[in-house]
Amino acid sequence: MSACCPLDAFLAAQGLEPQAFQRQAWAAFDAGASGLIHAPTGSGKTLAAWGGAVRELLDSPGHGLQYLWITPLRALAADTARALDRPLAHAGLSEAVALRTGDTSAHRKRKLMDQPPPALVTTPESLSVMLSYADAPQRLKNLRAVFVDEWHDLLDSKRGVLLQLALARLRGWNPGLRTWGLSATLGNLDQAAAALVGVDREPLIIAGDLDRPVELVSLLPGAVDRFPWAGRVGIRQLKAVIDRIEAAGTSLLFTNTRSQAEIWFNAIQAVCDWPDRVALHHGSISRDLRQQAEQGLSDGRLKCVVATASLDLGVDFSPVDQVLQVGSPKGIARLIQRAGRSGHRPGGTARIVCVPTHALEIAELAAVRERLKTGRVEPRRPLRLALDVLAQHVVTAALGGGVPPDALFEEVRTTHAFADLAPVQWQWVVDFVTRGGPALEAYPAFQRVEAVNGLLRVPSRRIAMLHRLNIGTITADGALSVKFRKGGSLGSVEERFLARLRPGERFVFAGRVLELIRIRDMTAYVRPAKSNKAQVPAWQGGRLPLSTLLADGLLKLFEDFGAGRLPASAEALAAAPLLALQREVSSLPARDRLVLEQVTSREGSHWFVYPFAGRLAHEGLAALLAWRIAQQTPVTFSITVNDYGFELLSAEPVALAAEDWRRVLDPADLERDIVASLDAANLAKYRFRDIARIAGLVQQGYPGKGKAVRQIQASSGLIFDVLREHDADNLLLDQARREVLEAQLEIRRIRAVLERSVEQSLSLHTPERLTPLAFPLWADRLRAHLTSEDWQARVERMLGRLERDAA
Amino acid sequence: MSLRIELAGHPLDLRADRSVWWPARRTAFVADVHLGKDQVFRRSGVPIPAEVLDAELAALDAVLAGTGAERLIVLGDWVHAAPDDDDGWPHAVERWRRHHAELELVLVAGNHDRGLTEWLERWRMQDWADGARLDGLALMHEVDLDAPPAGLSGHVHPVVRLGPRGDRVRLTAFARRADHLILPAFGRFTGGGEGLERAGWTFYGIAGDRVVDLSGVRPPLRR
Repeated sequence: MSACCPLDAFLAAQGLEPQAFQRQAWAAFDAGASGLIHAPTGSGKTLAAWGGAVRELLDSPGHGLQYLWITPLRALAADTARALDRPLAHAGLSEAVALRTGDTSAHRKRKLMDQPPPALVTTPESLSVMLSYADAPQRLKNLRAVFVDEWHDLLDSKRGVLLQLALARLRGWNPGLRTWGLSATLGNLDQAAAALVGVDREPLIIAGDLDRPVELVSLLPGAVDRFPWAGRVGIRQLKAVIDRIEAAGTSLLFTNTRSQAEIWFNAIQAVCDWPDRVALHHGSISRDLRQQAEQGLSDGRLKCVVATASLDLGVDFSPVDQVLQVGSPKGIARLIQRAGRSGHRPGGTARIVCVPTHALEIAELAAVRERLKTGRVEPRRPLRLALDVLAQHVVTAALGGGVPPDALFEEVRTTHAFADLAPVQWQWVVDFVTRGGPALEAYPAFQRVEAVNGLLRVPSRRIAMLHRLNIGTITADGALSVKFRKGGSLGSVEERFLARLRPGERFVFAGRVLELIRIRDMTAYVRPAKSNKAQVPAWQGGRLPLSTLLADGLLKLFEDFGAGRLPASAEALAAAPLLALQREVSSLPARDRLVLEQVTSREGSHWFVYPFAGRLAHEGLAALLAWRIAQQTPVTFSITVNDYGFELLSAEPVALAAEDWRRVLDPADLERDIVASLDAANLAKYRFRDIARIAGLVQQGYPGKGKAVRQIQASSGLIFDVLREHDADNLLLDQARREVLEAQLEIRRIRAVLERSVEQSLSLHTPERLTPLAFPLWADRLRAHLTSEDWQARVERMLGRLERDAA
Repeated sequence: MSLRIELAGHPLDLRADRSVWWPARRTAFVADVHLGKDQVFRRSGVPIPAEVLDAELAALDAVLAGTGAERLIVLGDWVHAAPDDDDGWPHAVERWRRHHAELELVLVAGNHDRGLTEWLERWRMQDWADGARLDGLALMHEVDLDAPPAGLSGHVHPVVRLGPRGDRVRLTAFARRADHLILPAFGRFTGGGEGLERAGWTFYGIAGDRVVDLSGVRPPLRR
């Protein structure tokens, strides 16, 4: 077959030859199949997916737009387009790949419509915008294949849901369309593949280069007995880290949070001999600065880039000599992904140096090492029934040439996300976009989508404009952009952090110390600050909880220690003294033993509980247990959580025997009690921010679109209150409540903890002092006040405090 | 239910229903009602239930019933936008007006009250000039925050926050400086905007069904 030659020639020019999984993927593509290719970063999966299209395109050029390549990050789009262009250019076909993202100019977008290239690299949101033009069916019906890059990253997000719907639309116009996804290895590949190709098709799953070994090296402190029991920054390992960086050519230093990245970047710059050769890379930093960092690393100008998850993605990001990870990776999949940034050669070894920040993380690393041997990784669960995204999609479909509602219903049900969509739910969504809500008279003059001659259509140009502006906002959060007064954008910082600062106050951002001048029009104007004392912003989210897989690995390690079967790894040996101490003064948690400790201090009475379910689940669990306890004895608790457990602190001792704990750990009525225990309405209101934006209930501020949008701006909180009062059955409110339980509190894990506790022995202790497990909670205390008080009572309490202060 | 204060020597009641009652003049004040705002949203494809308007008018009924006011003065932003020809809500306001036929209804126009000439007539609403005086109190929609005269205004939608981080509550409030009082927004479907700080203002917060003097607290005003 002559058509395979261009790829062989392209690879041969780099001294490579096709790998078996690449040939397999190309043949499957030729045969018209759809599927998922999973392999570690840098193993050649881009060419595995793209190769089939390269051969096809060279063989039969076709007309119009024929291939779409979807990438989750628009920052990656340009690199990706270059990578896709290379094999085509090598075979003599130039300018076949173009780019369309939110950053593309209107002029360029028009040109892409008039003279479509054979292949287009774009984002899920940009694809949705393309679907919203009236001639979308004509323009997109000739597509031969769609490729989705980094599918694992989109899979468990609403962007993934949006993309599933868009793909269903494309397949509706062209049933022969092939869909291929690229993914890191996941614990639920079958589900990931089904979500990609739709539930009415059989996907193929192709594995590439899975034997690529990951070598884990831990930077263990010299004297473990003096290593801190708590902490999150790990900066005392700075010297050892700098030695490592100096010994290698290029390094990537991953941290778990943006704040950590800022702190490490400043520390390295302050003490190393090459301050100009370090850069910072995280999701809030502007695209230009990030690109400079990426470029600097690939051309060798930089020695080290300090990064967060922002560099977890990227097909052709050039490999570095060494990857370091500060703090526990919190999951196996993430460790493998990050390790894959080093030694990018097929067949090469991925190597990662882990830098524990406190003693228990050494134990976590020991567990990571054992888990790596099993070859298991965490799943990522695709979302289901996200009605906000569906509502947005229905408007998009109505704009894109109009659509009969029944046909759209059938099409939507081919997606994994909406396979179980009930007719009543569908009817609600259609009513929501056509009439405002189920009760016709309640929404006079509502105007969005109309049913005309059996087709859903959007009559108003202004609404069409507002809708297109809104499509891209799934990823936007309440962030303010940070700019120098004289121009020059640095990136964005969460509004909640900046709103607390006053003009003149300083903060660290993008590796600099900045002084706030003023906040205006969603922009924080800053100037460089002279002093270097400043606050580091604490970004919301970003801190992934310890995965269940790793948490159970940790418990297994404890069990092995108890049974005298501790693995002979350096980490396990280093962690052993700490485990021994924990066992001596209390006991070690295990899968069949829940450990609870009560300690009395000057601050009051502390209960420590260690379910090992990750910080999100612990938040909900702690609130639930505190509430259940308070139902019997009125008491106010302060709550602290981490990945291992939680602390309930009260001023007065709360005596609880094992039977009492059994009662508060009862799995019955979990959902009812957790809603009662948390200010669930308020949490849902917060959650509603995203839902309202996606479903088009709130409009973002847009530069240049001022007046049209300003007149209809209202906070999502206000709309939440209005809907709750006048349209309590609104399914979007219900969705907000559901998301609080499922995504924010991981109720699945809470339920698992409670159900497991029924079978577990309860091991209650009253140690004299804080145990190794208790200490991080005590030290790490982020007090969230929790009481069984209602809103009115809280106001009274605060007024009382004000009066006391005034007296 | 209410808190008695004195403004330039005049006793006034600050009410938890966001209105001010001046017993000596049998007059009630409200500000920033933003009638018809829900309609503006619906026209733009944002489904806000029309019950918002009914609730607003019912809240006005409650003020009138609770005080026995003979005159209601609206300190600006009675409506959110000029009504369209086929809008239903101005007619609902007209029906509401008929239920209070004896009431003297006054508007001190705000920045949103444009294009209302015809409707003011149908609503039998007097149009007083900005800065009109009543017993030495100047009535206006928007006040110069740095040099407020004795009087009453709206526009700012004052809000006060209490409590430390993580345990914070937000109260709708009256704001005061010297002999000037800014009323909270009467409309429930209002709020938001950029923070703005000014020295010298103190607050009376609405906590559930009572009004509390918070002169010790100095939080930002919101517009």
